[in-house]
Amino acid sequence: MHNFGEWMEHLSWVQYVGMTAWLYSGISTIHYFTLFVMVGTSVVIDLRVLGLAGKGKPVAQFAEQIYPWMWGAFWLAVITGFLEFATDAGDYLPDTVFRVKMTVILLAVIFTILLQRSVSGAPEMKLVSGGTKALAALSLLFWIGSILAGVEIAAISGLG
Amino acid sequence: MQAPIHTSLMPLSRYLQMTSWATGIRTSLWVYPFIQLIHFSGLSLWLGTNVAGDLRLLGVGKQPQSAGDVRDELFVWNWIGFCIVVLGGFLLFSARATMYIINPAFRTKLFMLVPVALIWHVFVQAKTHDWGKSGIISVGGKAAAVLEIILWLSVVTAAVEIPNFG
Repeated sequence: MHNFGEWMEHLSWVQYVGMTAWLYSGISTIHYFTLFVMVGTSVVIDLRVLGLAGKGKPVAQFAEQIYPWMWGAFWLAVITGFLEFATDAGDYLPDTVFRVKMTVILLAVIFTILLQRSVSGAPEMKLVSGGTKALAALSLLFWIGSILAGVEIAAISGLG
Repeated sequence: MQAPIHTSLMPLSRYLQMTSWATGIRTSLWVYPFIQLIHFSGLSLWLGTNVAGDLRLLGVGKQPQSAGDVRDELFVWNWIGFCIVVLGGFLLFSARATMYIINPAFRTKLFMLVPVALIWHVFVQAKTHDWGKSGIISVGGKAAAVLEIILWLSVVTAAVEIPNFG
């Protein structure tokens, strides 16, 4: 796996990204911005489902408006994150904290998808079931966890 | 000739940095990342609610909830996010105040971009109902939403550049 990372790092277009300061900074900026928007919009939906925002209004109606932006921001964060990862893939791949971050993100995505299906399945629902609230709480927990894992990569591993 | 702002703020920066709590943040392996988590989590809530409102102003999203209704619903969480950002940001700044205050990217972010973006955000928040009153968002409203997104993107750009000037 480390050899794969080293191979990726030495691809010509990856080296160009890594060595072009304005390009790398731009990618970093978009990664942070879309990450914040993605987590923020997901949190807004979770707060609605948990009854901490927009009480008395149908949950699905609100969530349906937010989800396209959330997933749009997510995919932009994934693309820019991959570009940043590629420039130092040889060091990121074996790093434990990086692997924890990817695992936490995967869990956050799974719970968010489950929540989205649960919410969209009952369009007129104003009262949310305990199971759906649990999904929202887990989604919230893992998205916050992904931010923590992200900052720990720099603190513990010195990467990024 | 007036001294640059960072010169006049250096004594305060030194004082903040030498407080016991700022020293604790700076020297602890786990506290500093935790404070970053607070700052970034607040930023997520702040930017997420801002952009949700701006995109609704741009006509993205389904009816019948108007742009004004979206803003109203997110208002409290928007400003809670801002308070968390400020708290986390202040603690991060205090830990290394003398380094941040001389950093041109940090100064651009805090003393120029954030105040402009914040003032614009308050203006957009106040005017959203007017722009969407007829059910169709005016060109001015859409332009205001685009400008807000650009301003907060500029703030994040300046923040990303801070380590490059450190």
